[in-house]
Amino acid sequence: MIEVAHLTKRYRDRVAVDDVSFTVGQGEVVGLLGPNGAGKSTTLRVLTGFSPATSGSVRVAGFDVFEEPLEVKRRIGYLPETPPVYPDLTPRSYLAFCAGLKGLSRRSVKGHIERVAHLARIEDVLDRVTGNLSKGYRQRVGLAQALLGDPEVLILDEPTVGLDPLQIREVRDLVRSLAGDHTVLLSTHILPEVAMTCGKVLVLHEGRLVDFDTLDGLIAKYLPGRRVTLDDLAFLEEIYGKLVMPREPGLAAPPAMAPGGPA
Amino acid sequence: MRAALAIARKELEVYFTTPIAYVALTVIAFFAAQFFTGALEAYRTFALRASPAEGREVLERLNLTDLVVARLFASVAVFIVISAPFLSMRLLAEERRNRTFELLMTSPVRPYQIVLGKYLAALVLVGLSVAIVGIFPALLSLFARGAQGGGAVEWQTVATGLLGLFLLGAMCMAVGLFVSALTESVLVAALASLMVLLALWVVTMFTVGNEGAMRSLATGMSSSEHLLAFLQGRIRLEDVLYYLSFIILSLWLTDRALEGGRWA
Repeated sequence: MIEVAHLTKRYRDRVAVDDVSFTVGQGEVVGLLGPNGAGKSTTLRVLTGFSPATSGSVRVAGFDVFEEPLEVKRRIGYLPETPPVYPDLTPRSYLAFCAGLKGLSRRSVKGHIERVAHLARIEDVLDRVTGNLSKGYRQRVGLAQALLGDPEVLILDEPTVGLDPLQIREVRDLVRSLAGDHTVLLSTHILPEVAMTCGKVLVLHEGRLVDFDTLDGLIAKYLPGRRVTLDDLAFLEEIYGKLVMPREPGLAAPPAMAPGGPA
Repeated sequence: MRAALAIARKELEVYFTTPIAYVALTVIAFFAAQFFTGALEAYRTFALRASPAEGREVLERLNLTDLVVARLFASVAVFIVISAPFLSMRLLAEERRNRTFELLMTSPVRPYQIVLGKYLAALVLVGLSVAIVGIFPALLSLFARGAQGGGAVEWQTVATGLLGLFLLGAMCMAVGLFVSALTESVLVAALASLMVLLALWVVTMFTVGNEGAMRSLATGMSSSEHLLAFLQGRIRLEDVLYYLSFIILSLWLTDRALEGGRWA
């Protein structure tokens, strides 16, 4: 569904994304993991056609992002890092506007809005002014926008930022329920989120792809012989540490860490 | 086209849920009313003074359309130039600041559709401003009668005048839209386009004491100079072309600026 080949994005002399290649299959939920500034948002921006790649190619649903941007954009629901809402509009008129942007037929707009408002749990605030809503609600209005029109591919940049624990669980459930019919790529630096919602994990560090595997694969690779269940969240932290730490100068590579050591 | 209309609708919704459009339209209405009563008073005094000495000839040449309506339009024009930047400032700068620009650019919409949608909303506001100004000649025709018993107002002249004001406003909005595409700051957008538009408005001052090329260049560039014929009831091709070329150039540059902004 999403094919990224040798993607590089350079801002003047700074390399934000460096030769990244990966493929996400139809119906998969993939987590994009990495420290701040690892190039997560930049990668997602290139995937959605917002910023052009310096080199390399990105194909979504068989269409090249650079050659046929409209075909790609039609198939993607995108929640950027900052929810793209207008403080002066109510969520209802905002969603109607987004439906117009996405070219949904005028007659179906009402039904579409009801559907995404239900999914994102914003029915109660549909007629309040967005500027007066809490950050969590704004985030969910942004999420509702991404779900509008039921796109095949969902790209969510830190979808649970600003939400309270219960809302985080709701969003997780929502993402999980989307799996199968939808291809979801979500970025986060909250590790439990990845463990709970994503089948596969992409780890980015300093613009480079450090690993891309299923959770089980990562466990087998980095914690051999350890028995972990997905309820045991610490394991991911340990793997993450192993993947992301070695590049920092002055720090010894941590594989010496004994199994079952500090977590 | 559906996307452009959706954008235009949203812009109008924001214009009229925030105070900005009301303030701009009120400013225009207020000053238009002041100029209107002022011009009417001046006309009355002039007519009273002229009557005993000069007799019928002068009185026949006095007419409300040229002396009141055209003067009103000429004075209001500068307020259209001044208010336009404050109406156009947020069109694109605010999208960048709100981070909603990313939403527009990742929707299945081409940049030119965004430009058209935004400009359409701006034109509606220009139309409203011009309509407010148009109320005054209508008022005049309700209460005044012509010398030969006909209407007091020559509607053809009023119509060309309003068309001129509309073209002027449309040009100011197009320039403002382009400037708004270049910055993230709403204030910078307003001030920069105000500077450009006022410069184009007052560039005629270089015609004073200048001859030849310099003079015709200044006249040719001036947005106020190109309005004059409209106020006298004439539509000249060069004037229409002046405004249209500014509009088309600005919209094209805005489209380029949106496209180019992604590469930064």
